[in-house]
Amino acid sequence: MKNLIKILPLVSFLLLQSCATIVSGSRQTVKFNSIPAAATVFINEVEVGKTPVEKDLKRNQEYQVLIKMDGYKSYKTTLSKKFNEWYIGNIVFGGLIGLVVDPITGAMYKLTPNELTARLENDNSDVVFKDGGKDIHISVSLNIDPTWEKVGQLEKAE
Amino acid sequence: MKKLFFLLLIGLVSCSPKIKSNFTNTQPKLSIDQEVALLDIDHHLPENILKIGNLKFQDSGFSTDCSFNSIMNQARKTARENGANIVKVVGKKKPDIWSSCYRLDIELYKFEGDVSSLPQYELTLD
Repeated sequence: MKNLIKILPLVSFLLLQSCATIVSGSRQTVKFNSIPAAATVFINEVEVGKTPVEKDLKRNQEYQVLIKMDGYKSYKTTLSKKFNEWYIGNIVFGGLIGLVVDPITGAMYKLTPNELTARLENDNSDVVFKDGGKDIHISVSLNIDPTWEKVGQLEKAE
Repeated sequence: MKKLFFLLLIGLVSCSPKIKSNFTNTQPKLSIDQEVALLDIDHHLPENILKIGNLKFQDSGFSTDCSFNSIMNQARKTARENGANIVKVVGKKKPDIWSSCYRLDIELYKFEGDVSSLPQYELTLD
């Protein structure tokens, strides 16, 4: 019993070194919402479901998020890894174990944003609608591809 | 002690794998909507392709973000930036007692055909 009393604080001290790993864990649940709902969510081009959806992600990576829905412009963003304040707990409690363990498990990071809501804008290009059941109207809007580089301009001849 | 702590902290913060790149034939950037095929060691390259460059992913010693999926995702991003639509793994070392990281040698190619029809590696989330 005496030995247990002696060992217990030592074991607790050693275990509590990996502060962020214990408090936050190596994974983080990120919520994805959209307005309107039922848009398809892709993380790193892997389909994960329709909004609202939650996904458990490893904290030590950055993720590209794409939210898509027919008739709406796609929403793109990045989940970035930021410093997790719980990592400082290792310094407060002392010792080097947590300083090593937390980066290995990824717990020294937190993914931001933790919850994402995409407001999807109407995409008015290529809209087809019927008028009175007889005629078909097609609306087409041409947008400049953001990857294009302007190299010149044509002028109207006199 | 202070110096040791800061050295350790700086080292631990650099958790990405070390990447060496060499581009010989850079092409116009690809958009996110243009598909990039990820070919593992066992997958075969199609004919009539243009080599864009090479990538080498190594363990920096402090790398933690170095799973196969994570490296392939980084390679795909680099491929798009340099106009390649095929990422081909030509050398692969799995995690072992020397390193907890995948270490990959990758070649990037441009293929004019439909890359989605090629047998390829399906990326998953870790």
